[in-house]
Amino acid sequence: MKIEVLRNVFEKNDQAAEQNRSRFDRLGVSCINLLGGAGSGKTSLLESLIPRLSSWMRVGVLEGDLATTSDAERIGALGVPVVQLLTDGGCHLNATLVQHGMESLLQSELDLLIIENVGNPICPANFDLGEHLRISVLSVCEGDDKPQKYPLLFKHVGGVLISKCDLLPHVEFDVDQAEADIRTLNPSAKLLRTSARSGAGIADAASWIRSVVERQPDAVPSS
Amino acid sequence: MHEFAVARALVDAAIDIARESHIHRITRLRCRIGDMRQVDRWLLDEAYALAREGTPCEKAELCVERTHMQLECKACGRLFSVIDWDWRCPDCGRSGSNARGGDELELTGIDGEPTDED
Repeated sequence: MKIEVLRNVFEKNDQAAEQNRSRFDRLGVSCINLLGGAGSGKTSLLESLIPRLSSWMRVGVLEGDLATTSDAERIGALGVPVVQLLTDGGCHLNATLVQHGMESLLQSELDLLIIENVGNPICPANFDLGEHLRISVLSVCEGDDKPQKYPLLFKHVGGVLISKCDLLPHVEFDVDQAEADIRTLNPSAKLLRTSARSGAGIADAASWIRSVVERQPDAVPSS
Repeated sequence: MHEFAVARALVDAAIDIARESHIHRITRLRCRIGDMRQVDRWLLDEAYALAREGTPCEKAELCVERTHMQLECKACGRLFSVIDWDWRCPDCGRSGSNARGGDELELTGIDGEPTDED
């Protein structure tokens, strides 16, 4: 007996993600899923962005990591509520893990919940967590071939923050090529060049995130 | 290493379909996986061997159809499949644009034996 179907393999994860999204909507919370390889600079970008974002809205962070609480401690030092979600070796977050992890954070009244995913350019991009906006981080130290190597990381995102741009004079990274490749995968993605160290692009990135969270027209031009 | 999550989700979905279709033993599980998912076939087989233990998929063969991302050549307009992450047109060598497909992750069917009362 042969049965033909067409079923999304991650249907159960996507159902849990939809439950998360509905819950966020009921509570009036916007959710961002921040993705990128290990060492791409996600936590440093958050350290630069959160003080700006916090002046406009109440921000909370769910820190996904394989091990250690060091990222949560860095974010906690900014004075925003943070919960560390350790996957204990697991290489990605899924919607059910987030469902459990976000419980205490949602007791605080938040406008924006940022989920920093496990540092990994491959696996996390496969899992919807219930976010409203997905942002990828690509550092100039990783190489400009990454959009071609890890296309899923860039295909279904609202924006890409190119990080550590202060290091451009010291590394072989063709920003125009990387951006063109991201555009090939995702023509509508917002592209911003940033540096947490020099502060370049941080104000624009924060304004863009604010415009998305507040569902206002985006006034920041893409690079 | 998301292969275990993929294998477990495939087994769960196949069991749901078997239940809906009154199949008690699954003999084959068919799926379509795009290159962009970066699912390693060897790791998937290893993970599937673990995920199916003690389930109606225990003896089921896993058939995977691979799909590729398609690009459109900016110079000659040819639509081509991207193999081994090479974005260049096989005809003229120019880089392609306007990506589509290659991110499929679908269970497309199961084969099995119906329960006795059917």
